[in-house]
Amino acid sequence: MNCLSLIWLIFLPVIAAIVIMFPEFSNHQVKVRRFAKWFAGFHFIYSLLFLAFFDSGLYGMSFEKELTFLGASWLKSLGISAKFAVDGIALLMVVLSTFVVFITLFMSKMHIRSKHKLYYSMVFLLESAILGTFCAKDMFVFFILWELTLIPLYFLVSQWGNSEARRAVMKFTVASFITNMFLFFGMLILYYYNFAISNVLTANIESLNMDETVFPLWFQISVFVSFFIGFVLRVMLVPFHNWYPDIQNKAATPVNILIAGLIPITGVYALIRFNMQLFPEIFKIFAPVLLVWGLVNIVYGAALSFVQYDIKKMISYANIVSLGFVTVGLACLNKTGFDGAVFNAVAGAIVFSALYCVISSVQFRTKTTCITALGGLGQVMPKCMYTALIICFGAIGVPFLIMFTPRLMILTGAMLSNLEQQLLVKVAAIIGLLVLVLSAGFIMYFFYKVFCSVLLDSWKKIKDLSVQETSILASLCLLIVYFGINPMSIIQIYRSVSSIILDVLQV
Amino acid sequence: MSEITEAYLPEFIITIFIIFNLIASLFFSTYLYKLSKWVTLLGIVLAIAATFYLQIEPEAIVFNGAFLTNIYTVFFKILILIAGFFLTLLSRNMIREKRDRAFEYFSVFLSGILFAMCTVSSIDFVSLFVSLEALGLSCYLMLTLNKKTDAKQLTFGYLVQNAVVSTLFLAGLSFIYGISAQFSFENISLFFVNSGMTSGQPHVLLTFSLILIICTILFKLGLVPFSSWLPDTFEGASYPIGAYMSSIPVLAGFGILSRILMTFLPYTVTMKIILASIAVITIIFGSLSAIRQDSLKRLMAYSMSVNSGIVLLGLCVFSVYSLSGVLFYLFCYLFANIGAWAAVILLYNSSKLENINDLKGLIYHRPYYVIAFTVVLIALAGLAPTSGFVAKMYIFSAVARSGFIFLPFLLLAMLASVIMIYGYWRIIRAMFRRVETNIEIDNRVISSKFILYACAFATVFIFLFADRLVRLCQLVAYYM
Repeated sequence: MNCLSLIWLIFLPVIAAIVIMFPEFSNHQVKVRRFAKWFAGFHFIYSLLFLAFFDSGLYGMSFEKELTFLGASWLKSLGISAKFAVDGIALLMVVLSTFVVFITLFMSKMHIRSKHKLYYSMVFLLESAILGTFCAKDMFVFFILWELTLIPLYFLVSQWGNSEARRAVMKFTVASFITNMFLFFGMLILYYYNFAISNVLTANIESLNMDETVFPLWFQISVFVSFFIGFVLRVMLVPFHNWYPDIQNKAATPVNILIAGLIPITGVYALIRFNMQLFPEIFKIFAPVLLVWGLVNIVYGAALSFVQYDIKKMISYANIVSLGFVTVGLACLNKTGFDGAVFNAVAGAIVFSALYCVISSVQFRTKTTCITALGGLGQVMPKCMYTALIICFGAIGVPFLIMFTPRLMILTGAMLSNLEQQLLVKVAAIIGLLVLVLSAGFIMYFFYKVFCSVLLDSWKKIKDLSVQETSILASLCLLIVYFGINPMSIIQIYRSVSSIILDVLQV
Repeated sequence: MSEITEAYLPEFIITIFIIFNLIASLFFSTYLYKLSKWVTLLGIVLAIAATFYLQIEPEAIVFNGAFLTNIYTVFFKILILIAGFFLTLLSRNMIREKRDRAFEYFSVFLSGILFAMCTVSSIDFVSLFVSLEALGLSCYLMLTLNKKTDAKQLTFGYLVQNAVVSTLFLAGLSFIYGISAQFSFENISLFFVNSGMTSGQPHVLLTFSLILIICTILFKLGLVPFSSWLPDTFEGASYPIGAYMSSIPVLAGFGILSRILMTFLPYTVTMKIILASIAVITIIFGSLSAIRQDSLKRLMAYSMSVNSGIVLLGLCVFSVYSLSGVLFYLFCYLFANIGAWAAVILLYNSSKLENINDLKGLIYHRPYYVIAFTVVLIALAGLAPTSGFVAKMYIFSAVARSGFIFLPFLLLAMLASVIMIYGYWRIIRAMFRRVETNIEIDNRVISSKFILYACAFATVFIFLFADRLVRLCQLVAYYM
């Protein structure tokens, strides 16, 4: 398929952003928005085509393409080339991110009231950088795009938020730069040692051959740890989770949808691609640590979610719980757990962006996200209530909805895990199961407080969802139901990749 | 004459134009002051063209072994001349204010460039001393041209400290001459190799005197023990002179510093560690100071210091790979630095703004200006879609290649450079603030605008087509 080029997929949004930013492009908000929506829709369909022509049985990368400049690769003399390719997991994440951008643009109309051109171009730049991180085959290209996500993110949060949002995102940006420096440090020493041993100057992930007989153990551990520090901010393991509720609380709601849908999956993807695939032996050593860490994440997130007064913060802690499950699933070191973890990351992105869509509709009408000020909205917004009900059930993990299968797989994986610390794994699985019940508690608490309890007088005149919002939320509900009934449709996309990874990893 | 045309033609052309400017300053100062700029530009363009006629292979040595011309010196000479070209254009408002001294200004300006070129190509301690001293004096003469009342007081520190470090240089030189009775780099290093073979270890006095000599160069580069002159001098300087001080002496200093280190460093290993610590301390100190500044000029002064620190870190782990990284970094730094200065100068010339907080809300008035300024600042900070990232990656990978001793320095330098990113980020953040403002950017100053946009374009262009430049730098470093 010649017309399916990853280069176009990644860099089309940049072109769209430049077109929007151009001063000659109309300043009228309707035109800008319409262009952005049409483009995002087209881009989503284009990414679906990749999925349609993807051979999920294939072992290894497909759709490989190199970005060349006047026929020369980017930094050939340093062994760095801008090659892009996808495997099952990456492709799944790519399609997911184009989808999240697509629905975000539909929800942006109500909340973005100024600087439309800047907003839509920044969304496209962010999308482009995120797609690039999923597709990059080269460490340094990955790093560049990984850092580039921060700049549009900074503008998206700071320009459409108040001064607290600016402070929160500044903290996140600085913390990211610091952790990224550890990541960069790890890449540099890995790059050099690979050269010293194999005498090939390359930064290509596939040709970095981490043979533990060649690389000393302490070296692998130090590179592993520096990589892990680089990714941990986006996987949101506990002491590093702080930025997420802060930003989610203060940012504009469409930006919430974007962050919830795009940022955690990049972290999970990077963790799998680098820490699991490059250092399987070290990952085995660190698996119990990760397991406990994920467990702490689950319990801590669940406990904090209960005591929040702000629905946005509440949902963001629920997201942290979900990422704790992902970490536990990855640390199980068996196929069931791994498949469940990847599925959980994808399902989390869908469900939590859907929840933020619901919050977006509620916030647009009531102008508040404080949980005590809301109540009984179900009486005036029935459509919103029913879709929110399905989404909340989806987030809890009710059978036949999207979150059920991954949670089940993760807990089964933990039970079946062959890690040496048998007792620890079983305890983890049991605690995870208990927290599942708890999470049902706080998400239903959110649903009850917002939609079910006594209707306040001030909310009696608000209107139900518009056609556009209804269609977006209904399609999200459809997805949640569909993937709940038919989970294999997602799992089979990355089954060959997971078997490759787990062949090495399995204890 | 043949000697000059083979190896010394650009310097010769610049000298002719210095003399022309001096003579012209006697006759048509006030009326034809605009001519001075074009004459200087002509001289620099002719000198750049002349570098292509130099005999660079094999190398040519002139004036009884005082100066050397090979592909390495020519590379630096071209960099210095390009910087000179841009800086001449940036001096527009400077000479408008001082019409009667325009020719005089440009003669000093060109002599600074001339001695910077001499510094890069000297292979002899005496010619090096003369060139460095003349470069420092030219800088000081230009510093005194500022009209502000406290300018002389602020810049006097530069003169005094320059004098102090020059005496250090002379002390080191006399020690070396006392032992070896030689002046040329090659002979001295040969002498010490031979004496080291008998005693089995490098000569202590050589290390000591080398440190004294290197101190002079570190002073010019604004590295830490000698960086106290930076903020005050830059504050007292006019803007174009600030741009001058942060590019020409830096290029000249690193050109000669790498030659000295390459000639002498292999015999004195401990100095690598000393230099690496100096580099890291400079980066940390410079960035911590930079994030507290409100004045754009002072921030740019510390930015120069931090960038010099990064280059020094690449230089002290000496290898051909790291040297090519240094050359690449300097090339990228040149464009980013001059671009940032052009933006600052444009702002000052139009509405006399000097502080970061004055920039608030500029994006809504001048989007192109803000985007170009942002690009060059990102390049200075070493972030991704610009040449600064490749340059930084190149230097850091060179450090990572050179052994475990340097890894802690590398990590510290990387973490400290994040602080500096915050320093630049403050400017960008201020420009994107949502505030009503009535800042005007003068549309008539085409030359400064041209430089800003050209530099912003160049940084992105170098990022995309970095491979060619990397190969060129590797070639130059190999033939040094």
